[in-house]
Amino acid sequence: MASVSSDEWRAICDKFTNAQNLTVVESCNDPDNDPFRSKYKARELLREIYCSLKSFEAGDGEEEEESGGESGVQRPVEPPVDGQTEEAFSQGFCGDSPAGLRAAKLGAVEYYLGVNHVDTEELSAGQEHLMNCMKLLERCRVSSENVSLFIHVRNQLGILWAGRDETETAQGFLETAESIYQRYMKEDGSPPFDMTDYFSTEENLLTHQERTKRFELAYTHSMYYLAQVYKNLGETERAATYCHSTLQRQLKLNQFSPMEWALNAATLSQYYITKGRYMEGRHCLSAATVISGLAGDVPSEAAAQESETESERREQLRQKRAEIARCWIKYCLNLLQDSKKLLEDSIGELDTDRQEEMKRARRLEEEEEEKERKSALLFGSEDTFDSIASLEEKVGCLLPLDFNEARAIFLVGQNYVTQAKEYFQMDGYVTDHIEILQDHSSLFRSLAFYEEDLERRCKMHKRRVDMMEPVCNELNSKYYLMIRRQMMFELAETFNEMMDLKLTLANRQDDSESLDSHTIKKFNNLCSASAKYFQMFLDSLCSPEGKQPEHLEEEVLRPALVARFRVARLYSRLICTAPSGQVENLDKSLEHYKYVVQYCDTHPEAVATVETELELSREMVGLLPLKINRLKAKMTANN
Amino acid sequence: MSKNKSSESVKVVVRCRPLNRKEESIGPAGCIVQMDIRLGQVILRNPRSTASEPQKTFTFDAVYDANSKQRDLYDESVRPLIDSVLAGFNGTIFAYGQTGTGKTYTMQGAWMDPEKRGVIPNAFDHIFTHISRSQSDRQYLVRASYLEIYLEEVRDLLDPNHGNARALELRENPDSGVYVRDLTSCVCKSIKEIEEVMNVGNQARAVGATDMNEHSSRSHALFMITVECSQPGPDGRKHIRVGRLNLVDLAGSERQAKTGVQGERLKEAAKINLSLSALGNVISALADGRSSHVPYRDSKLTRLLQDSLGGNAKTIMVATLGPSPQHYDETLTTLRYANRAKNIQNQPRVNEDPKDALLREFQMEIARLRAQLHHRKWRSKQKKEQVDGEDWEGDGDEETDGEEKAVEEYVKLEEQRLEREKQDIREDQFMLAEEKHRLLGEKRG
Repeated sequence: MASVSSDEWRAICDKFTNAQNLTVVESCNDPDNDPFRSKYKARELLREIYCSLKSFEAGDGEEEEESGGESGVQRPVEPPVDGQTEEAFSQGFCGDSPAGLRAAKLGAVEYYLGVNHVDTEELSAGQEHLMNCMKLLERCRVSSENVSLFIHVRNQLGILWAGRDETETAQGFLETAESIYQRYMKEDGSPPFDMTDYFSTEENLLTHQERTKRFELAYTHSMYYLAQVYKNLGETERAATYCHSTLQRQLKLNQFSPMEWALNAATLSQYYITKGRYMEGRHCLSAATVISGLAGDVPSEAAAQESETESERREQLRQKRAEIARCWIKYCLNLLQDSKKLLEDSIGELDTDRQEEMKRARRLEEEEEEKERKSALLFGSEDTFDSIASLEEKVGCLLPLDFNEARAIFLVGQNYVTQAKEYFQMDGYVTDHIEILQDHSSLFRSLAFYEEDLERRCKMHKRRVDMMEPVCNELNSKYYLMIRRQMMFELAETFNEMMDLKLTLANRQDDSESLDSHTIKKFNNLCSASAKYFQMFLDSLCSPEGKQPEHLEEEVLRPALVARFRVARLYSRLICTAPSGQVENLDKSLEHYKYVVQYCDTHPEAVATVETELELSREMVGLLPLKINRLKAKMTANN
Repeated sequence: MSKNKSSESVKVVVRCRPLNRKEESIGPAGCIVQMDIRLGQVILRNPRSTASEPQKTFTFDAVYDANSKQRDLYDESVRPLIDSVLAGFNGTIFAYGQTGTGKTYTMQGAWMDPEKRGVIPNAFDHIFTHISRSQSDRQYLVRASYLEIYLEEVRDLLDPNHGNARALELRENPDSGVYVRDLTSCVCKSIKEIEEVMNVGNQARAVGATDMNEHSSRSHALFMITVECSQPGPDGRKHIRVGRLNLVDLAGSERQAKTGVQGERLKEAAKINLSLSALGNVISALADGRSSHVPYRDSKLTRLLQDSLGGNAKTIMVATLGPSPQHYDETLTTLRYANRAKNIQNQPRVNEDPKDALLREFQMEIARLRAQLHHRKWRSKQKKEQVDGEDWEGDGDEETDGEEKAVEEYVKLEEQRLEREKQDIREDQFMLAEEKHRLLGEKRG
């Protein structure tokens, strides 16, 4: 082979530098009507390099057994299987032997040709080149001279096969890349050659620091690709772990953009909270907040009006920080709701025995938290580690067990609601704004569960009504039908809850069965309001001509029948002294119960979704006529 | 069966173009795509596989083979959708397919030749013919906008300054839904005018020629037609009905951003395909759930069409295929994508929250009601046994006391039963906790 200092070699190095420059820099400026111009030029150069390398080989009298890298023939696309890591470390040429280096250099050119073809949408040809690279590497043992290429080529093959939806094949390549990296780091660990080093003159070789950086980045990509592969295979837990590692590596190696990283970490927290892993969720969120702070202050409105870049930056920072705030809201909300689920008895009240028991178990949990924290994969660099930890301390990650603990989490959540709403205002961000309102309402709802004072509990529900009612009535149904339906249902239920609370309160204060007229009026108002919103929900299901749907869509089947059932119930609960009014209300009630029964009779598929309600409605349909008749009879008797 | 399960309002039709001149040498036997029009099936053969490998079969709402006429596709698949737009609903037509598969021919075709006119000119004709034949008391206003989404940036194709203009932003208004801020909207009074608007936009569109097909492009394009109809109602007042037609030209599936950044390509590819596969970002997909918030990485296209993909809106997806063996991979991708599109949920999620909470809330009520029913039933049964024909007059107030007592007792029984259930649940939970400890122990050991 030509000596490294020869002119011929220098020419090869120059060509390589050119090819790299064309691929990475020039290609960005290619015209739209010739988008691959520079890449095609780079391809030609790479081909020339390949030929030169081969001719050196021939000139040096080496044995020739290369499979041609140039054939354009379509090979059958059978998913290849990657070799074992074990073999790669124990067999073949030494990486630094002349034969090993030659193989690596040829392999690198094949690799670049492969990437070039894939980039220019010639997948099959690209695959062939990459597989040629694999074949060349098969003859070598893993060492610092070639390990980078071992990883890169597998990354590329992984991408290629994933793009073809052959996920398992992709998985094979990427997992081998992962284990080669791990084994290399364990057994050697010295900063490995970068592929560009093969074609650099002595004076242009990369520094050890740069080599390490590039190598680590390649491995970060393997992790990132594996995360996607696992996700596509439905292995969400593994996918999450790889996402987490990718984020952690980005931070550790200082290869990230703060806002993007922060948003990813915040989003990952959402995976953890839905799995009940609040400690990890809190860690991701705290890191997200701290890292997003690294992106700097939001430019003032005045500054934004001065310059377009500042305006863009202002928009970006405000939006992304508001998004992170929304992830925090969900953290608080889920924590409250999960705890509520555990603490409530069969009628949705606080179960004090259970509460005591959980408090006793708490100490154990706290110890466990400490242990888990130590073993967890933590985010942070030297200068961010402490800020992340101190943010974590501001909110608990254990399920709240009493009002005070719940209130602490509620307040954190409410604070983030305010932050999020600052950006996501009603005017411009209707859907987002309402989602935040709904979360705020749910925060109140969860907190109310822990509140023992019924008067105050009722006030919390009143707050929910106050924030939702005006918005619900302002929205245009044509564009916001689904949101309005959700809000109607929630309003109906909230009024219902308030009504129940008022009744319990009145009964508690006064032992006598009769209610005073003021309470009755309040009760009836709440009762009517609840019925009104259920009815509004039902009306929203009607056709544009106002006709009731004969067939309820699957998505609204249960809500619609439940709404009917509850309207029925509400009518029968209205307090009315005049028998005629009573009869009227009971008639309405009966009508709605009948609807539920008749609908289920004609649509047997609905039965399973409303079993309990149906059973009860049937009984009521049997009973109510008797009661109505009795009332009527009484009226005639009294007349 | 799966065909019936997909929503009525999303239809997927697939069309395969004939062999072109360059491909004629392959002959019909060399085609990789076969169609069964009656069953709506596409059968795909892998040209590189052995004879024993089973062919892949996909079923759609309709399939159109190389001999299909432009008019047939329009009349059978598109016409009902345009009718519904004229009736005041939203409708969306997606066109999807690898470059060079006849997507442009299917959607646009040859405008001047009635035989070869594609979906778009036919739709224009349909709309304006309908308007010209409508009753004189109806007044119509047709407006058109044209935008493209390139790398998640929205650009106005009707803005003369298109190339240099800033990307437009999506906003929402409580009264009018999602809109593109500052988007040009042109009033069109005739087919000619609307065609002109489309031509202007087409010229402005970032057209990137590749070695495969110079007319192909890398961006999504959205042509929006709003049809407003005002008509005096029975109450004498004017009633306005607004329907919207979205014509969406989806970027080719095989298109990738031209990017020199290595290793970022998987992400980039995902980005340009965001609207197509809705795969989005891996993490977002993992975190997706009812109780979580996934920061908005939702594609602009999906957001823009959000009110067009629900309620009474109709959606058609037209996917085009090439029959030549060299396009096997891309054809398979297209078919798989189209197949997924069949399952698009056209109805956004409706609050299902009440399910558990409601049942719990009602448990006591149910108990009380049952008690009353129970008592009454028992009593009426007794009564029947006593004397048949005794009238309700005898059912006096004095009995209420007894009834109340029975109710109370029943409620008490129910409460005890609930208490027992509670106990069971508690024990169950205890067992779960125990189990957890055991597992944790094992993990550490």
